[in-house]
Amino acid sequence: MTVSLFVQSLINGLNQGAIYALIALGYTMVYGIIRMINFAHGDFIMIGSYTLFYTVPIMINIGMPAWLAVIIAVAVCMTVGVLVETIAYKPVRKAGSMSALITALAMSIFLENLAMVLFGAKPHNVAKIFALPTINVMGVVLPLNVLLTIAIGVGIMILMQVFIKKTKMGKAMRAVPQDKDAAILAGINVNRIITLTFAIGSGLAAVAALMYCAKYPRVTNDMGSMMGIKAFIAAVLGGIGIIPGAMLGGILVGLIEIFVKLFAPGWYEAITYSILIVILLVKPSGILGKNLGEKV
Amino acid sequence: MKKRAASAVLSATLAASMVLGTTAFAEEEDNVIKIGVICSMTGGSAVYGEGAQNAIDLAVEEINSSDSEYKVEIVNGGKVVDDATDAKQAINAYNSVMSEGPEAVVGCFFSSVTLPIAEQAANDGMLLLATGATNKDVTLKGETIFRNCFIDPYQGKMAAQFVKEQGWEKAAVIYAKDDDYSNGLKDAFIENAEANGIEVVYIGECTTKDTDFSSQASQAVANGADFVYYPCFLDTVPLLVSAVRDAGFTGAIMGGDGWDGSDTSGMEDYFDNCYFTNHYSSEDTAPAVANFVSKYTEAYGTESLNACAALYYDAIYMLVQAAENGGGSDTASLVKGMTGMEFTGVGGTFSLDENGDALKAVAINTYEDGQVKWMMTLSPEGEKTE
Amino acid sequence: MKMPKKYKVSYLINLLGLLVLYGLAVLLFESGVLGTSTTYVKGIFTTACYTIVMVTSLNLVVGVMGEFSLGHAGFVSVGAYVSALASNALSGTGMPNLLVLLIALVIGGIAAGITGMLVGIPALRLRGDYLAIVTVAFAEIIRVCFCNFEFTGGGKTMSGIAKLADFYWVYWITAACVAVMFMFVRSRYGRTVKSIREDYIAAAASGINVTYYKVFTFAVAAFFAGVGGGLYAHYMTAMIPTNFNFNYSAELLSEVIIGGTGSLTGSVIGAAFLSALPEMMRQFSTYRMLAYSVILVLVMIFRPGGIFGTWEFSLTGLLMKLSGKGNKAAKEGQ
Repeated sequence: MTVSLFVQSLINGLNQGAIYALIALGYTMVYGIIRMINFAHGDFIMIGSYTLFYTVPIMINIGMPAWLAVIIAVAVCMTVGVLVETIAYKPVRKAGSMSALITALAMSIFLENLAMVLFGAKPHNVAKIFALPTINVMGVVLPLNVLLTIAIGVGIMILMQVFIKKTKMGKAMRAVPQDKDAAILAGINVNRIITLTFAIGSGLAAVAALMYCAKYPRVTNDMGSMMGIKAFIAAVLGGIGIIPGAMLGGILVGLIEIFVKLFAPGWYEAITYSILIVILLVKPSGILGKNLGEKV
Repeated sequence: MKKRAASAVLSATLAASMVLGTTAFAEEEDNVIKIGVICSMTGGSAVYGEGAQNAIDLAVEEINSSDSEYKVEIVNGGKVVDDATDAKQAINAYNSVMSEGPEAVVGCFFSSVTLPIAEQAANDGMLLLATGATNKDVTLKGETIFRNCFIDPYQGKMAAQFVKEQGWEKAAVIYAKDDDYSNGLKDAFIENAEANGIEVVYIGECTTKDTDFSSQASQAVANGADFVYYPCFLDTVPLLVSAVRDAGFTGAIMGGDGWDGSDTSGMEDYFDNCYFTNHYSSEDTAPAVANFVSKYTEAYGTESLNACAALYYDAIYMLVQAAENGGGSDTASLVKGMTGMEFTGVGGTFSLDENGDALKAVAINTYEDGQVKWMMTLSPEGEKTE
Repeated sequence: MKMPKKYKVSYLINLLGLLVLYGLAVLLFESGVLGTSTTYVKGIFTTACYTIVMVTSLNLVVGVMGEFSLGHAGFVSVGAYVSALASNALSGTGMPNLLVLLIALVIGGIAAGITGMLVGIPALRLRGDYLAIVTVAFAEIIRVCFCNFEFTGGGKTMSGIAKLADFYWVYWITAACVAVMFMFVRSRYGRTVKSIREDYIAAAASGINVTYYKVFTFAVAAFFAGVGGGLYAHYMTAMIPTNFNFNYSAELLSEVIIGGTGSLTGSVIGAAFLSALPEMMRQFSTYRMLAYSVILVLVMIFRPGGIFGTWEFSLTGLLMKLSGKGNKAAKEGQ
């Protein structure tokens, strides 16, 4: 392997990883607070992408920067997220993790098929969102897109970290997963906190959709199906519920996938899943997590 | 297992409802060919089913309003039966079509779902005209299985021939490991590339669900390829093309008939110097093609106008011609009429060989401003028309 | 150990019930009342049968053991491929078809069972959500492996498998599989596993080797999933690794959930019903999956334990009730 291919793969890995990280940020937020594997998270991204597909041309037509369409996408995703939460997830919350998982799975199937009925089965190209140049040095191509994605990821990470650690609402959010009953006793409206978490998580999905569409400009109704699991892997790798961990995990998964494709292209998915298995068995709390004993 | 009684009640109700549903049989008329059509109407590949349904509607209307000696009737109320691109449902779809007593079955578009059906059709002695199933084993299942698309080895060979003609020397192949079509074209291309003096410098693998091709693209560039072959279906084509172009690749990118119908909007300049082999070219001035393209576009737009639509359209006409050749609309006459048949349609003029495979010319298309442009036609004997 | 008379009677009654059902099916298909739909209905019944085997086996994990497996399709694929290879190898030997099928199924089942054990030993250290995700991961790894193995055709369709799975045989194989699973649940093993489900700390404290029982149950479930896969392979005659993807696992799991976690008869009925559902809804194919997901959500909201919950349908009990002996029998049983 030449040096330039190595550097190029590093860039490719960062590029893919930054997208994974953005997806995992929204994902880890929801999982960290509700402890629920939200299979539909990838489908929220699908909805955000379809919104972008329809709104970006409008934005360009009225002379606004294309990326402003993300505001509409955030609004749509938040609405869908909160709706899904209230209609489907809330009624099963008390029934245990198994029911929650199945409901999430069902919602994922529902959203995918709803999208097919509404938007048709044909894949569509999303119009160009950012007109960023690429830098070409000694045979290595560096799209500035990567830097932008990472910058957005880091920005969101810091914002969320501040929100969770410093604000009153954030404190309430941290209290809920630790002890739900105690949180209620302390005067926290748990239902409202959970709905808020979903709203934020879905809004982040729309932001992830923006960067996803900037890199992979194509929307289909089943684009989100495995994304939830990839995001879960990234979140677990970094430490579930830990916001910088999602960033780290996402970038690592992206890098690993790209480098595996260099040596054993047919096996890259297997390797990604093996990482998940190894992490869960060896250090379930993830790279940045602290080991906690199981509560009896 | 205590008792399956409840399930029996359930199944009995189900069975009863189906019996009721199928009792209304149309009286057999001698000049009407009853055809069952199967395609993917739901799931990730539903875009093909949309095209198939439209094409069938178009063909049926044309034939039945013409003065053709034989008329056609599509069972299941004129609707294409859904296989959901899933083998389980495909078998049931075939059986459900069979329960209406068709004289021929048209479908499916994917080899993985057509193979189980072909096995059963061969047992039943039913005429199966496969449309998009390019795996070479499909027609080997029996005497009554035909197809009107290319087989994989042939299309890959023609691609290699085209590459040689254009003088490209270093090919990179990126293919989907978990798909029949992609594997078939890749194998054939590599085999013929070596014979044509083309060096395969890089073979990259992906899956049908992949979205990121940057690693494969960078490796193709790093290995000094001047040509990239990507034999996959239309949904990932824009992603691959943009990844390869973003990696700084300016050479030619080529695919097979799976590319037909790819969305090029927003990346028109990326698609310059891209090519694909196809059954027809929407630009072709041959009357059959021009008629099909204009009527289809008028009625349904270009959204679902792809190779699949063209193949289903031709399939119906082939059956009509088979009835004329064989002198009857029953399965036996159709099989007789179809064996070794020579046909001219949207997919060009071709004949069916001893296996029931179509030997036909390949139209090579390119892109200009994102629009598909016909470039040349290569015949099986290696003749070229430009 | 002598079998109590009550059990003998109930086994006899159930066997009779099966025979009656079989008779009805034969009558239905052989009398020609279905006309041209015979093959179609028979196909749906066959599909229902092998789905029953797969779903019931998954219920051993989900219902009896109380753990999630979202990777059952992985074991199904191992059974399908291995049994297909086995029957291909046996095809020239002149053995009767039924024997070839049975041997192939057992070999496929054992291969799947071993895989289940290998997966279960590490994976079952986890519980709940994490276990669910790890089973997904293992199933995906199995799928990638089949995509890379040349002897199964790699990522291409493996075709030309002998069509040995005729409905009449599949019916009895299904019946036998479900019977064995039923006996497993009722056995000492099954009761132990249930106690682990209820409280694994208490179970471990009572000296039960929790890991051993869990892995054993997982392997048994994988064995039957493999048998189901073998039936699938010999009915379908062609398959491709992508058939056994995450969606297939999710489909099997939702059939278990809708039928009722912990109720094997619920699984039988759920599997039979839901595998026939796509056929009943053929005319509305676009909305089929939408309806399916809505049903799933509704079941989760209103009947989280599934339609049957843990209730087992019992032919013996039904007969007793009908003959007015229900109360007496219940008293005798105490």
